Amino acid sequence: MAIQGPQNRTMKVWDDSTEMETSAAYWAFQAFYWGIFAAIGLAINVVSGGNIRNLVISHILFFLYSVGLTHVFRGRIQQRRLRQPSNFRMRLWLFAGILVIAVIQTVLVISIDSALNGERPGAWPRVAVFGVGWGMYIGTLVWTMVYVRMTERRIQERKEAKMQLAVRAAELRALEAQINPHFLFNCLNSIRGLVVEDPQKAQDMITRFAALLRYNLNRDRQHTVPFSEEAEIVADYLALESVRFEDRLRVQVTVDPQARAMQVPPMILQALVENALKHGIARRPEGGDVQIHASSSNGKLILHVTNSGELGPARPSDTQLGLKNIRERLHLLYGDRASLSLQNGSGTVVAKVEIPRTA
Amino acid sequence: MKALIIDDERLARAELRRLLTAHPEIEIAGEACNGDQALALIAQTSPDLLLLDVQMPGMTGFDVLERLDDVPQVIFTTAYDAYAIKAFEVNALDYLMKPIAPVRLAAALSKVRPRSGPTRLERVFVRDGDRCWIVALPDIYLLESEGNYTRVHFNGHRPLIRRSLNALETQLDPAVFFRANRQQILNLKWIDKVDLGVAGGLSVTLRGGRAVEMSRRQSGRLREILSL
Repeated sequence: MAIQGPQNRTMKVWDDSTEMETSAAYWAFQAFYWGIFAAIGLAINVVSGGNIRNLVISHILFFLYSVGLTHVFRGRIQQRRLRQPSNFRMRLWLFAGILVIAVIQTVLVISIDSALNGERPGAWPRVAVFGVGWGMYIGTLVWTMVYVRMTERRIQERKEAKMQLAVRAAELRALEAQINPHFLFNCLNSIRGLVVEDPQKAQDMITRFAALLRYNLNRDRQHTVPFSEEAEIVADYLALESVRFEDRLRVQVTVDPQARAMQVPPMILQALVENALKHGIARRPEGGDVQIHASSSNGKLILHVTNSGELGPARPSDTQLGLKNIRERLHLLYGDRASLSLQNGSGTVVAKVEIPRTA
Repeated sequence: MKALIIDDERLARAELRRLLTAHPEIEIAGEACNGDQALALIAQTSPDLLLLDVQMPGMTGFDVLERLDDVPQVIFTTAYDAYAIKAFEVNALDYLMKPIAPVRLAAALSKVRPRSGPTRLERVFVRDGDRCWIVALPDIYLLESEGNYTRVHFNGHRPLIRRSLNALETQLDPAVFFRANRQQILNLKWIDKVDLGVAGGLSVTLRGGRAVEMSRRQSGRLREILSL
């Protein structure tokens, strides 16, 4: 299943749906098991000769109180399980409970049968009483064991799924790149210089710096944000980098209006732009251009980030972490429906990202 | 003392210049915003000190050092730790984290010494794969020729340097570095013991155990110097 919103919300949705499935499965199981049990009993009794009407009534009743008894029992056991999850004592409780249910079932079977046929309950031969008793006991026992097995497997599966989900969320969090510390400190250093040179600009940069930090710190709570928010932060980021690179960095941003409301993973455009600056500007003494274009097509958000330069063989110092990181994040959130590609233009490198509308 | 500021960011250079006004003993001989400019300025002004940014476009701070015959004293300036650790390994005088604290700058500058003489080599920069060193000459106990390269032995390391032994020799202090044979130059201050060799030449053992066989001719000269 895809991660949609904040982790806790996703988990809850997941839990609820599973609970509903479980209930449906439980009732189906109840009906099926006791239905078969009653049907077999009815068939045997009809074959051995008896009042069909009475037999049908008594077996329908049998079906109902068996379902009722085991249902009440299941409720009790679940309550107990919450308070005291010890497995061994649970088993003891199960066996004791099943015995009690079997006794009640036996008493009811005999009483109802006697009442319908106008006999005294005591008139039942001992062997028959034992037979019915054993039948009930074995029946309920099998029912319970099969059910417990199924439940345990389901709980185990749910636990594993939850764990997988947690692992995924953790992976995602780890991938949501922190602000590059190099940028952070260079930036502070530039602002320190600006304080003397251009106090007003320094103030503006501190505000932008704060916005970027805040966005980065709050981001953990959401896996996607409206693109307009991301675009604003990228504008702040670019303004800060412009202070460092001065006229070496030339930026052009175009955002189609319908792209603004679309959801994107936070810091994804930022990471692309950072990558573009790293390769297209920082390494080139003469600097270069960065163009950002956001549009939407067929419900997908299309981001183009173009920088001066050329795709060359990777330098040994290149970890390619930035792009790899973006790819993994997209994959975790959208599977194969999102993509990131890099290609050479004429004297430029274009990074293209496609993000589907929903996770 | 003459210093050069090398940093690609104008604001960073301006900031450092302002900080240096508190240190009148440092004369800023120039500023460079990339490696090429830096190399030209170093050749032109032969500074005592480089205030060198590690990450620059085109050429990194390490690339600049690698292209220098003689390495001035270096204080690295860096924005973040990763490079500082590297800078430490290369045995720079100090490294400063940006934004630079005035106290840290003062501490770093207090280690700077004026150059002893203009012609003598004081330090060499050596790079071996991912590792680099700024090696002070007194730490070198042996230089070995390997074609156009020279193997530099110091502190248990022995990386290659991209200069011939003969070219290096012209810049070495002859009172310290002594030609043992065609292949090797040893540091006299590192001599531990001297034995008579098989062929009549001397066999020198350096501190640390490394043995060097002297040529016949140089054995005679070594006897004179050590007055054996």
